[in-house]
Amino acid sequence: MVGGFSILLWIGAFLCYIAYGILYSNNSSVSLDNVYLGSVLILVVILTGVFAYYQEAKSTNIMSSFSKMIPQQALVIRDSEKKIIPAEQLVVGDIVEVKGGDQIPADIRVLFSQGCKVDNSCLTGESEPQSRSSEFTHENPLETKNICFYSTTCLEGTATGMVISTGDRTTIGHIASLASGVGNEKTPIAVEIEHFVHIVAGVAVSIGILFFIIAVSMKYQVLDAIIFLISIIVANVPEGLLATVTVTLSLTAKRMAKKNCLVKNLEAVETLGSTSIICSDKTGTLTQNRMTVAHLWFDNQIFVADTSEDQSNQVFDQTSRTWASLSKIITLCNRAEFKPGQESVPIMKKVVVGDASETALLKFSEVILGDVMEIRKRNRKVAEIPFNSTNKFQLSIHETEDPEDKRFLMVMKGAPERVLEKCSTIMINGQEQPLDKSTAKAFHTAYMELGGLGERVLGFCHLYLPTDKFPETYSFDTDAMNFPTSNFCFVGLLSMIDPPRSTVPDAVTKCRSAGIKVIMVTGDHPITAKAIAKSVGIISANSETVEDIANRLNVPVEQVNKRDAKAAVVTGQELKDMSLEQLDELLASYSEIVFARTSPQQKLIIVEGCQRQDAVVAVTGDGVNDSPALKKADIGIAMGIAGSDAAKNAADMVLLDDNFASIVTGVEEGRLIFDNLKKTIAYTLTKNIAELCPFLIYIIAGLPLPIGTITILFIDLGTDIIPSVALAYEKAESDIMNRKPRHKKRDRLVNMPLAVYSYLHIGLMQALGAFLVYFTVYAQQGFLPSALINLRVEWETDDVNDLEDSYGQEWTRYQRRHLEWTGYTAFFVGILVQQIADLIIRKTRRNSIFQQGLFRNKVIWVGIFSQIVIGLLLSYGLGSVTALSFDMLRAQYWFVAVPHAILIWVYDEARKLFIRLYPGSWWDKNMYY
Amino acid sequence: MRRQLRSRRAPAFPYGYRYRLDDQDEVNQNYLADEEEEAEEEARVMVVPELEEEEEEKEKEEEEVEEKEEEEGQGQPTGNAWWRKLQILNEYLWDPERRMSLARTGQSWRVMIRPFAHSLNFNFNVSEPDTWQHYVISLNGFLQGYNDSLQEEMNVDCPPGQYFIQDGNEDEDKKACQFKRSFLKNCSGLEDPTFGYSTGQPCILLKMNRIVGFRPELGDPVKVSCKVQRGDENDIRSINYYPESASFDLRYYPYYGKLTHVNYTSPLVAMHFTDVVKNQAVPVQCQLKGKGIINDVINDRFVGRVIFTLNIET
Repeated sequence: MVGGFSILLWIGAFLCYIAYGILYSNNSSVSLDNVYLGSVLILVVILTGVFAYYQEAKSTNIMSSFSKMIPQQALVIRDSEKKIIPAEQLVVGDIVEVKGGDQIPADIRVLFSQGCKVDNSCLTGESEPQSRSSEFTHENPLETKNICFYSTTCLEGTATGMVISTGDRTTIGHIASLASGVGNEKTPIAVEIEHFVHIVAGVAVSIGILFFIIAVSMKYQVLDAIIFLISIIVANVPEGLLATVTVTLSLTAKRMAKKNCLVKNLEAVETLGSTSIICSDKTGTLTQNRMTVAHLWFDNQIFVADTSEDQSNQVFDQTSRTWASLSKIITLCNRAEFKPGQESVPIMKKVVVGDASETALLKFSEVILGDVMEIRKRNRKVAEIPFNSTNKFQLSIHETEDPEDKRFLMVMKGAPERVLEKCSTIMINGQEQPLDKSTAKAFHTAYMELGGLGERVLGFCHLYLPTDKFPETYSFDTDAMNFPTSNFCFVGLLSMIDPPRSTVPDAVTKCRSAGIKVIMVTGDHPITAKAIAKSVGIISANSETVEDIANRLNVPVEQVNKRDAKAAVVTGQELKDMSLEQLDELLASYSEIVFARTSPQQKLIIVEGCQRQDAVVAVTGDGVNDSPALKKADIGIAMGIAGSDAAKNAADMVLLDDNFASIVTGVEEGRLIFDNLKKTIAYTLTKNIAELCPFLIYIIAGLPLPIGTITILFIDLGTDIIPSVALAYEKAESDIMNRKPRHKKRDRLVNMPLAVYSYLHIGLMQALGAFLVYFTVYAQQGFLPSALINLRVEWETDDVNDLEDSYGQEWTRYQRRHLEWTGYTAFFVGILVQQIADLIIRKTRRNSIFQQGLFRNKVIWVGIFSQIVIGLLLSYGLGSVTALSFDMLRAQYWFVAVPHAILIWVYDEARKLFIRLYPGSWWDKNMYY
Repeated sequence: MRRQLRSRRAPAFPYGYRYRLDDQDEVNQNYLADEEEEAEEEARVMVVPELEEEEEEKEKEEEEVEEKEEEEGQGQPTGNAWWRKLQILNEYLWDPERRMSLARTGQSWRVMIRPFAHSLNFNFNVSEPDTWQHYVISLNGFLQGYNDSLQEEMNVDCPPGQYFIQDGNEDEDKKACQFKRSFLKNCSGLEDPTFGYSTGQPCILLKMNRIVGFRPELGDPVKVSCKVQRGDENDIRSINYYPESASFDLRYYPYYGKLTHVNYTSPLVAMHFTDVVKNQAVPVQCQLKGKGIINDVINDRFVGRVIFTLNIET
């Protein structure tokens, strides 16, 4: 309410009151015009301020629903009694108890624990549960096992601990304060709008002062000169524009929310459009965040499995008998189960009890074989050794489903090399063959290849126990291991990966064609990271890293010319050793970069590095530790599903579906809104000249005032508002995703051609048209244009009540005032009619209106309709309200400016035609805005 | 450029004279009686051939559209009574032909006085000629055009009591009726070159604002009558009016506009305040009295009346 135009309007209002005060002190019966104007100006400032605030608040409200937190409780031992108190009442030294499912109420040192595991993902980004015990294991508090952190969750077990810090002094609190310490920089659109406000305010003030001086030197009274100054300011300032921009942005924000991008900060809508680098997380954003079977190896062959979201299209060879055995092992050697009661849920969406890889296997086999539980029932399990990290295998013994076959089937899966050790034969095409060197080599090649894809590989083998040694009644003892654990028959390998979301490769390609660099930043292993990057196209198919080149040429890495490589995979360790200059060079010289094994703090460094390249950086993140980077980024994007509250708070935008592809749609919307804002501003600026010229002519040529200040406000805040919002609904003219992101400093919202074309081309034409209507009205009432020149003083003298017109008729002051108001209305109608043409031409900047489709944007027509209705209401409905200075206008005057409006349209079509015909020419450079 | 062309080829009348802008505060009691007059004016529309042709075409077009805009346009030859009622109602709401809304309008008398000295307060001291000399100069200047010799040479003596209607082509020059300075008798400045100011008996001339084509109501001539606006009725005591009828004769109407009606001289009524109370401000209101004359509009204080103060010191 104080910045930009508002300050100009405040000054205007203030001057109005001063002018009235001076007039009043001279003559107590002076007209209240200045008071009306001052009040209206203040009203305008306050209304637009309140409106902008309301719009902002509305979009912030959406967020506040996210940050709603259940008040935390803590079980504390005080005075030898267990009490439940709100977490904020905890003090250092309190002994608290936590159990599975609780949120840790403060940073605590574990005194006693029982199978306690915590999820530190909101702090470190690692989602693996970590066990907690009372032992001190590491110097670093983040690494040691005996500290539990505030706001992390206890997954299972119980623990008792002593509070060592609370509130802001906790580790999380530190990170949060780090986030708030990162300066919140101005959004690009805010910079643009400020730039635009400066231009317009500069024009307004300089013209105002210039004419103040002219007026004074033309022997006008200083008081009159001040009133001219106010009018010039009011005519120049597009009062309604900032409100329009806010509405436009919030409309886009709404549209983006429908596409799963929830925008917290309205201005971020456009920031996304000017993004030139996206630093994306891997897990969950680029990938589906679930393990899925990607490849199989049996019969000496690698098969590809379908990793799409529904996995319905499994095309590998399922006729081999090896596959029959392999599928049996996959089905049986698996402890994961579907939760009961999900019969109607599609397989991929069913909830599974079990770890990530077992879940993947279960779903995989369920898709291919059908009811896994039924198969397991038919092959009753008699004994089992679960997976553990020392064995690195899992084993189970089953009865076979064939009632004739009394043998037991022993199935095993585990780390491929461990599994292979236990095998003496290998199954090829359903036949057991001795495991010789060549088959072992084939196994290793396959294993390396799959591992090289960043996939987690499992080996599978089985063994039929002979009935003579193991009769039906044999009781297996898993502790004593009273069964053989070697000479298995190796059946196959199976590899799993967290596969990319199927929409992501497309989205990355789109980003690339839109000139946006996508950088992957992940905590994962470089190999996995690179594999995913390749599969989604962040590293394109034909580009190589330095290491790839070294491998291909068989030379050491140091000898490779770094310029040959387009892609780079950088680990956190390497990043740590880099200087800022090296990082800058890295970011500048490679177009495809993957950062792996990075810590959350390094993310911040990467973001800062990107910003030093003058890029507009978007960052995605979900953990608390990401919040500084999210805040630092030009636009922080938090994950709606996986994201922590801290991340959502620090972000400017929330991706409701955690999907990278949604960012791309957001970018598209952001670019569109930038283009459409240009159109809106061009539309709004145009009429300012038509509003300004009357005052200049009034001062210089002394015509009766063609348009009143209040009438101008009715155009700016009345008829023009809805049409200028309507331009926000305009579709893109060309494929906006095929051009480079705009340069922050070069591609301005309001540039020279826009200002010149709006002000001096269309604006002047409009002014001429409006004057035509004005002169027509006056001429038809008896004042020919030549008679109007220098008539001002006589015209405005109250005591002249028989002013003669061109036909010898005589006019009283009262009649003249009404004629003047009719003139205002005529000028108003003239502008209004031509603004309709202006609105239509602003639909496009380059294409012909007919290419764009005149009727595709229905809202434009709503806008035109509203313009006409408001115009009619003002001139006929409010014609008798003195303060508004409107008067009835004969209907025919509405059509006087129509030829001018058509001329404007034709002129602009010609401009666009030449731009299309001669791209790159002088015309294109100066006439395209 | 276009503007200049237009002004050179300007029509003899302001196109809008039939729709003369007027305040909407006047209540036209004769709304229904106006119908006749309207018909007459309608006929006049047909004889405006010298308007720029394109302009005229446009206007016609516009008028058509205008009718459409008004939705219930006139000229629908239907016997439906409801339709006519709607039409009347519609015209009542907004009559585009006469710019009349809610039956409020009116071309009415607007009057002004001479001498004019940037103020309607006449303050002067009889014994100090400097304080009233400028009034005399103003009146003398104003009455130059009314000199008998000039009037006799340029203008015709036309029959009183009826309109001086001159048909024929609109851009033909029109003749004007004589209004001789001598009609004003004691206020003509012929006998008393100070117009009575030197004796504390000031003359004030009342004239009507010219309106092209305007014809006052038929019937009794419109009379001028002055009285004290606020205060003691006797502050003025006696006023002499010249011409003695204290009225504007119909022969000076209608006015055809200064382009063709070159020598038109506005009729005047002089008011000779022969015995005004001295040494105090006397607010005077001079009103036109007659059938259908509006003289009490608050917003425009020059409709059918003029208010000024006399403050004569001795």
